Amino acid sequence: MLTLSQFKEMVAAAGVDIRAEEKTFSELDAASGGDGDHGTAIVTAFNAMRKADGADFKGYLKALTDALQNEACGSTSTLYGAWLQGMSDAAPEGAAELDAAALAKVFAGGLEEIGFTTKARVGDKTLMDALIPATEALVAAQAEGVAAMFQKGASGAAKGSEATCAMRAKFGRAKNLGERSIGPRDAGSASMACIFNAFAKTVK
Amino acid sequence: MPMKKFVNDPANLTKELLEGLALCYSGKVTLVNEKVVVRATPKDQSKVAIVTLGGAGHEPALSGFVGEGMLDASVVGDIFAAPGAPKVLEALRLFKREAGILLVTLNHAGDRMSASKALRDAQKEGIKVVEIVTHEDISAGVDTPIDDKRGLAGCIPLYKVVGAAAEAGKSLEEIVDIGERFNKQMATLAVAMTGCTHPQNGGVIAVLPDDEMEIGMGQHGEAGGGRTKILSADETAARMIEPLVQATGVKAGDTALLIINGVGATTLMEMLIVYRKTAQILASKGVHVTPGACGEYLTVQEMAGFQMILCKLDPDHVAYLKACARTPYWTA
Repeated sequence: MLTLSQFKEMVAAAGVDIRAEEKTFSELDAASGGDGDHGTAIVTAFNAMRKADGADFKGYLKALTDALQNEACGSTSTLYGAWLQGMSDAAPEGAAELDAAALAKVFAGGLEEIGFTTKARVGDKTLMDALIPATEALVAAQAEGVAAMFQKGASGAAKGSEATCAMRAKFGRAKNLGERSIGPRDAGSASMACIFNAFAKTVK
Repeated sequence: MPMKKFVNDPANLTKELLEGLALCYSGKVTLVNEKVVVRATPKDQSKVAIVTLGGAGHEPALSGFVGEGMLDASVVGDIFAAPGAPKVLEALRLFKREAGILLVTLNHAGDRMSASKALRDAQKEGIKVVEIVTHEDISAGVDTPIDDKRGLAGCIPLYKVVGAAAEAGKSLEEIVDIGERFNKQMATLAVAMTGCTHPQNGGVIAVLPDDEMEIGMGQHGEAGGGRTKILSADETAARMIEPLVQATGVKAGDTALLIINGVGATTLMEMLIVYRKTAQILASKGVHVTPGACGEYLTVQEMAGFQMILCKLDPDHVAYLKACARTPYWTA
């Protein structure tokens, strides 16, 4: 079982780790062909989410969505907004705790919704390189319980993000870099891996 | 290294610069909903409203072109980052009218995502709004698929054209036609000599060796395109105008608009020297060059370089470019 208060702790822990790595995310963004502000954007998003609260998973995830979309800017606002909205939509009404199956549905719902917002998939050097394997691993580990789901999810996100180093960007302006986009890790995948890592550390 | 910039708390840059704009140009623009710049005197409700959205840090763009004859509103995000969809929707609600709204979006991932979401939500609420997406950057090659071409400073003459058409009382459908024809016939190529620093985090974006320049850098100097040793103004003009001519299809007998947009650290002296040669090359091809523009319109902090914008004009475009405009940073 994952309780709502545990989940709130997870979000808070992710915020702490994200803030600690702000500079790294911005540097990775600049190095891989972006405009060097991913750290600023993701920190703004997590700062905004601190104001969110709710009495059940559905309500809390919806409050996170609204807080983030109102204050975060750039693609972070829409992408993370879609992810959280999808999770909220998939959460059962009134639930303040989720069993492994419900938790898997929530994360699968988040992935589905963000997948409608971006065409990027694994191999395109975006945050989806971390989110897709993380979600798949988390869902696949349902039988092993909640803690194992987050451990597997974190490991999937880390491996997926690491793999972006060797990728050539296929989305946005970074694409124009061609071969020069190979080498640095994708910033969006790095922050996503950081979030899953914080989740796993919190639910031991 | 500390940034050598006159700023306060980096978290408040956008808010403070917009307040400054509204104070400085109080007769022309005013600030509503924190980050929406609108005209001080609204346009008549019977006319189509022109709304745009985008990040800050590119001043005077985009908010500096709000005013009579151009934009009705500019929805601002944060430094180099689009406003979230809810903010765009709020602005569309403010301008809801029977005549409709034209939303002009520059093709950047964040802007497109926010605009698409806001557009869908607005249409569900019964707001009449149509979007034009600018994507005239040819830095990845003339044949680049349209979704991969970014919107650069070409949005500014487009604001001028659609803004004048709206002022003249054209319908939304007519304005979309006028705007899309203009959109299809314009192209922009950027060149950079130095990168810029992100004004919030001090990070350096795109480092170039001292003796090199790069043709085809994006809005924020995101690396891309081709690097070369520094060329003279005339050589640079000659190298840049050819792909633009190819992209726009401008030929002898056509009328064209040429704009040199400085991106922050290139002087007006340099821009005028580049304009001179470029206009001469166009004239030698038999192209009639209408009065153009040289200056800082869409900037990227202290990045050195410029964007060269070439627009092939239809007769109505020529007239709309000449029509009256009174905005903080564009007058006609």
